Amino acid sequence: MDFTVIPRNLPYLLGGLGVTLETALLVILGGAAFGLGLGILRTGGLSAARVLAAGYIEIIRGTPLLVVLFFVYFGLPPVIGYRLSAYEAAVIGFILFIGAYIAEDYRSGVAAVPQQQREGALALGLTPRQVRHHVVLPQAVRQMIPALFNQFVRLVKFTSVAAVIGVTELTGAALAVNAREFQPVPIIATLAASYFVLCALLSLVGRGLNRRYAIQA
Amino acid sequence: MQYTFDWSVIWRYRGTLLHGLALTLLLSLAGLAAALAIGMIAGAGGASRRPALKTAALVYVELARNVPLLVHIYFWYLGLSALRLPAFWCGVLALSIYSGAYVAEIVRAGIQSVPSGQRAAALALGLSPAAALRSVIYPQALRITAPSLAGVFSQLIKDSSLASVISVAELTFAAGVIEGDTFRTFEAYITITLLYFLVVTAVSRAALFVFGRRGAEVDRRF
Repeated sequence: MDFTVIPRNLPYLLGGLGVTLETALLVILGGAAFGLGLGILRTGGLSAARVLAAGYIEIIRGTPLLVVLFFVYFGLPPVIGYRLSAYEAAVIGFILFIGAYIAEDYRSGVAAVPQQQREGALALGLTPRQVRHHVVLPQAVRQMIPALFNQFVRLVKFTSVAAVIGVTELTGAALAVNAREFQPVPIIATLAASYFVLCALLSLVGRGLNRRYAIQA
Repeated sequence: MQYTFDWSVIWRYRGTLLHGLALTLLLSLAGLAAALAIGMIAGAGGASRRPALKTAALVYVELARNVPLLVHIYFWYLGLSALRLPAFWCGVLALSIYSGAYVAEIVRAGIQSVPSGQRAAALALGLSPAAALRSVIYPQALRITAPSLAGVFSQLIKDSSLASVISVAELTFAAGVIEGDTFRTFEAYITITLLYFLVVTAVSRAALFVFGRRGAEVDRRF
């Protein structure tokens, strides 16, 4: 067992970490926006949009992430006539996947807003659209901080799956180093520790935000 | 969109798909049983009042949950390659230890939601702590947590697809084989998506039924 394998390959591994962080950041932003949009359609006034959103959410939630990635990476290019890079496919796949889960969290956040709030707002003369945007949405979002950060932590762990379609993020880089040096124990231990730190930090941020913004009962 | 579907490949590769489905079921059921066992032990530890047990459970849960499943899989397959475990068992170990942490958190919350008077009464009636846990607390805790457990189980079945990475020939692997042979990407992946959907629905319904009914029996008894 040779732990010097880590310092010797540090620049390469840090490059992988950079890709992981960049992917996670893009997917957190994209996934939150897409999931929120989907959640608004799912709980909104248009019944056709509601049915479509519900169908999409059910299909994605019943499908493994790896299968979604394969769909995007291998299936999408002939349809859209553009050859996606592995990295682009991974980011798109993750956003499509996590969005469905975030939309469901948004829906339960909306359900947690008391009905009287809506009635009160309507009675004060707000239009249903205003009620949704100015009364329900802000409270639902604050309500869903813990669930949202759960999804973000899941997502950081998910980014490792991008290694399977050939993205050299942290896991991909670690596997490449292992293939060259064959020191599985130090490499896998370092890999696990890195993800642990990333996920624990993200959880801490979530807990902090929740303490600050959660609606006190 | 210039893609013509040809579903005949699915019939031609039915053997590959059925074999993959069988392996996915085996992998999921073995992982599920082990995750439930691990989770019930670690969950009881987390809900216990003894600091040592509580800390041990906490360390396990945090370590297992904050590391990606793929890294768990590589840990058994590559990290401990000296053990030469078969790929299938690496998959089962990784899945059950990873999901066991989620089960543990759910079981812990379930146990803590059972009123403490229940345990006190069971002990006062002369049940041993283990018997009180087994026949008074678990049945009630499992019923309360049935929906969350069903969620973890369906997650586990979908996660089993990652075992294809260490070449366990389960459903996702089978789709990869079909795709590699015929370039029929959509047919192969739509088919396995449907199969996953069926398996996940069946298992989560079954979990709700089994754990929900166990609770109903307890209700009748009192």
